[in-house]
Amino acid sequence: MNGCPMLRLAAALALVLAITPAEAKDTGLIYVSNEKSNNILVVDPKTYKIVNDIAVSRRPRDMHFNADHSKLYVACGDDDVIDVIDVATFKVVGKLVTGSSPETFAMDETRRRIYVSDEESSTLAIINMDRNIIEKEVPTGAEPEGVLVSADGKTVYVTSEVGDLVHAIDADSGYVTQDVVVGTRPRRFAATPDGKELWVSTEMAGEVYIIDRQKFVVTGKIDFLPPGMRKSDVTPVGLVMTKDGKTAYVALGHAAHVAVVDVPTRAVQGYILVGKRSWGVTLSRDEKTLYVANGLGDDITIIDTASRKAVISIPVGRVPWGIVVDD
Amino acid sequence: MLSPFLVLAWIAAAAAQDASAPTPPTAPQQHVKIAFVQVDGDPRYAPIRAYERIVLKAPEHPFAGAEVGINEAAPLVRLLNTDFTLDRIVAKSAADVATAVLQAADAGTHFFLIDVPADAYRPLAAAVRGRDLLLFNVSEPDDALRRGLCSAEFVHVYSSRAQLMDGLVQYVVSRKWTNLLEFQGPSPDDAAMATAFEHSVQKFGAHIVAQRKFKPGTDPRDRELNDPLLLSALNRDFDVVFVADSDFDFARTVPYHLMRPRPIMGSIDLEPTAWHWTWDHNGAPQVNSRFEKRSGGRHMEGADWAAWVAVKMIVQSALHTRSADFSTQRAFILGDGSFDGDKGLAVSVRAWDHQVRQAVLLAAPYEVVASAPIEGFLHQTNELDTLGDDQPETTCHLNR
Repeated sequence: MNGCPMLRLAAALALVLAITPAEAKDTGLIYVSNEKSNNILVVDPKTYKIVNDIAVSRRPRDMHFNADHSKLYVACGDDDVIDVIDVATFKVVGKLVTGSSPETFAMDETRRRIYVSDEESSTLAIINMDRNIIEKEVPTGAEPEGVLVSADGKTVYVTSEVGDLVHAIDADSGYVTQDVVVGTRPRRFAATPDGKELWVSTEMAGEVYIIDRQKFVVTGKIDFLPPGMRKSDVTPVGLVMTKDGKTAYVALGHAAHVAVVDVPTRAVQGYILVGKRSWGVTLSRDEKTLYVANGLGDDITIIDTASRKAVISIPVGRVPWGIVVDD
Repeated sequence: MLSPFLVLAWIAAAAAQDASAPTPPTAPQQHVKIAFVQVDGDPRYAPIRAYERIVLKAPEHPFAGAEVGINEAAPLVRLLNTDFTLDRIVAKSAADVATAVLQAADAGTHFFLIDVPADAYRPLAAAVRGRDLLLFNVSEPDDALRRGLCSAEFVHVYSSRAQLMDGLVQYVVSRKWTNLLEFQGPSPDDAAMATAFEHSVQKFGAHIVAQRKFKPGTDPRDRELNDPLLLSALNRDFDVVFVADSDFDFARTVPYHLMRPRPIMGSIDLEPTAWHWTWDHNGAPQVNSRFEKRSGGRHMEGADWAAWVAVKMIVQSALHTRSADFSTQRAFILGDGSFDGDKGLAVSVRAWDHQVRQAVLLAAPYEVVASAPIEGFLHQTNELDTLGDDQPETTCHLNR
């Protein structure tokens, strides 16, 4: 063998780049699910132009990439499936059957499982990704919504919108092991990176509840009131936390703002103006950019997190719900 | 002080939590019984017909709304160690309602969903006075029940006429359609609706251009009274026509038969309602869907919403107080309790007349045009109190 190892590595890399379409990795492309136009729109992060329009099953809502970002999974509520999109070709290449009206889900690729809340059957379906079967349906409170899997994969957390509950479910046995009562209409989760706290948005209470995961009790809550808004418009749904566990962004729904929260002190540091009924919210990997889907504005807002200002709003499809970034 | 029963309940609840591992379910220790009370042959549920054969509306008792609420409580049985049961009582006549309620009360039922006509309320209120009961009015809008009757044992979940009309008038005022022409029918219900409407018009600063009492029929000698064209032939312009017609037979002839091209509201076209099947905010599509499944495809209406919310109030009071003790539940419902009625602002019970504060949906046949309180109608404590009898206006003071 001759030649230096570095060169060989570079050659191998070049080969990989040559056979992999440029769009398949770290493209920064923004994917938006549109509940009412039944499509996923793909937006270029530099030109802010729509570069692809993927027709999917009806009422697409929550979306997640798999670990290597080769596939995008989309829960489609009116067809009771999760569509699987091939990220390289922007084509739907598979469908996983769910229960009635899947809304949000979480993936555990180690166990090859998807946990999906089926809004109308009031269950959490445990789906085997490889065999495309529902292994178990766990009864939950009415209208289950947010789903979060613990880092070790042992516990699944689910909210019940109507029951004002957060369930802890044992992933192995598929039983609810603990419940905690929170504020009215609990929606989504964020977990602190230290694994100690679970943050839950409660839409009707207009607050974020904080749950101690060890004791499984409510240890605090955060109120929001953007300037000039009415308390009744504050309907928090989507929330996301930075990887260092210092900052949380909470989309306030009809109040058309995103709240910036200092996680250790739980103090609201400011509000960023976005569009109407903002729900879906996500961060770029470098956490310099925040993306927000405005459900009743038919647009998305892109925010510079350093200056806490909206950079641009881009029209998308009808009733945008979820937003994810391929980076 | 905690009552011994309450302490027991707490221990039971705690035990249920500890035994949270996958153990086989045991029968719940506590029971909350709910009874739904209706009257046989209630005229409010008679089909509304055009001539003889064509059924225009076939109203149904809101029992399915209560059933949806009970189904939603099923996952809480294990958590609360309490089951919730719903019985249906059909009284032979309005006069038998009080006896039927007392019988069920003696057998341990504390919560009742009352779906009876207004004239059955007075004897019922007298019979239950001072008893440990809570009766939820789920279908009667009569303002007199919230004012003159003023009974502490009742919670009026269904919107009052005052709330409905305030919502309607807020909307037209917000659009600056303030010159209103009023058509009123001959029945007592029409008169009550017209009175509530006129009060709302005055409250929000609109103006009634003319009040016309119509006489249903086709008699050509009465054409000045039965033809919308002639009834609306005024030398003054108007923005909207308001029709109070509980029989509906005249109301349905008003659209497109006016002298001027004007929209219509009240008993037809733009109707103020407690609920509408096209409402698609605040989680409403899921409730509508559960209801349609439960009822065999029927659209969810105002009384169904009220029955659903009444059960929800009972269940949520048990959840948030962790108690199946009646007085604890009652204190929560009448006190701090606020509930998600899927109409935006949280619903709660007014301390003064036990009316549930709630949004009013202004519904066209296929679209909720707006939800009142309309933006801009402000209140010092709760904007929902811009609708219906606010504390300074009411004659009922259950909180004093």
